[in-house]
Amino acid sequence: MKIPSLVLFLAICSAAYATQCNVNPVNVPKQWITMSRGCRDSVRRQIQMEVSASIQYLAMGAHFSKDSINRPGFANLFFEASKEERQHAMKLIEYLLMRGELTNNLTSLIAVRAPERKTWSSGQEALEDALKMETEVTKAIRTVIVNCENDRSAGPGQDDNDYHLVDYLTGEFLEEQYKGQRDLAGKASTLKKMMDRHSALGEFIFDKKLLGIDI
Amino acid sequence: MTSGPKYSDTRCGKEIDDSRASSVCKGCTFDGLPAIFSFNIIILLSPYYASNCIMKVIALAVSCLLALSAVSAETCFNDVSMDCGQASNSLGLPSCNAIYGHFSRQGNVANEMQAYANLHMRRSYEYLLSAAYYNNYQTNRLGFSKLFQKLSDETWDKTIELIKHITKRGGSMDFARRSVQETVTRNSTIELQELESLAHALDTQKEIAERAFYIHQEATRNNHKTHDAEIAQYLEEEFIEDHADTIRNLAGHTSDLKQFIVQNDGNDLSIALYLFDEYLQKTV
Repeated sequence: MKIPSLVLFLAICSAAYATQCNVNPVNVPKQWITMSRGCRDSVRRQIQMEVSASIQYLAMGAHFSKDSINRPGFANLFFEASKEERQHAMKLIEYLLMRGELTNNLTSLIAVRAPERKTWSSGQEALEDALKMETEVTKAIRTVIVNCENDRSAGPGQDDNDYHLVDYLTGEFLEEQYKGQRDLAGKASTLKKMMDRHSALGEFIFDKKLLGIDI
Repeated sequence: MTSGPKYSDTRCGKEIDDSRASSVCKGCTFDGLPAIFSFNIIILLSPYYASNCIMKVIALAVSCLLALSAVSAETCFNDVSMDCGQASNSLGLPSCNAIYGHFSRQGNVANEMQAYANLHMRRSYEYLLSAAYYNNYQTNRLGFSKLFQKLSDETWDKTIELIKHITKRGGSMDFARRSVQETVTRNSTIELQELESLAHALDTQKEIAERAFYIHQEATRNNHKTHDAEIAQYLEEEFIEDHADTIRNLAGHTSDLKQFIVQNDGNDLSIALYLFDEYLQKTV
């Protein structure tokens, strides 16, 4: 009984105090850290959402890679989208770090869960599903903007209107979302037209087009 | 089989109303087995038949027997031969897939590959959080951050590669799959001190490397239901080689830090950690 409790005690201590293996944590002024709690928590939730989207795109890539589906162009598109979503999560993390956040509660920031959906009946359906997912992400970014633009719960010394983050999200993230949505919607339209009378051939040709092969 | 319906069989060339002949044609198309018996009967009775069709029926029966050997092997070609002869709007072709050997059929190699992809994905995001932690203004160890970012990027890329490889072998990805090797999920914190975090990374990389050994072992048991040379070779080339380097590097880092901590009564520690971080920034 004594040894485990000693280990636990040491483990608790090591988190806050110096052991022989690390230097004492130091305190530097914190007045410059001005993000409000409501805004910060919204960004944290957004990071989780981007991670979930990246995993959902992985599932789409996996589906279209199957031998029975055999759409490498679609698979490629979705694997790339998955990487992009992960990069969005990384950009938001980077932003929080710049603003003096993420000094604690790191472990709960990201939970890796299995994707909700695993199969799609066609490339067309997957493109439309991806478009729907992007629309939800865009909506969520707008919610973060609203939460950061007017946070009534902001304490003294905190930003009730986080101009810079709002500008960053509006200028960089929303721009990328709108461009991405337009691209998906365009692809979905073209494919749908090609599928109209020649569904099997249409999807086949579109898939090769996505790979950069002209046939 | 006594009241064979009238139908036209392209391989018989004409409409057949003889119930025996009918059963031969049907037997070939549907299940093959009755063909043997019908074939024998026809051999015995053949002198009594003067029909033009009879030679064709015999030829068909022979081809049925040839096809019969393929039925037991469940080949794609046999699926095609069977299903294309039938007038229907759908083709099943269940054997026309990328599965060969025992992958996805017997043993747990396919399952373990899925679990391996999932392991990479989870560890990748843990590494990403470690990279973030070492990049906050208090820890401010950009070299450590870079080290963890690299580990995260590598395990992420491997996740996608593994998913692609599973589908290359005719499998599908199951994101909920866990390895039989996996015991209780570790409930560890990301917020660790420098040496602790390196120790944690070293353990994680060993976990990933040893899991590859396990799958490799499953895939290389000769004369066993799980033998799969392709998976073994893939793991060796794309994973196992790199693991040795990564583990050796991390172990080397812990040895260096250990020296800095112990020597000079620990007075070098704060400068040593700073310099070591600078070193990581330049070399990772």
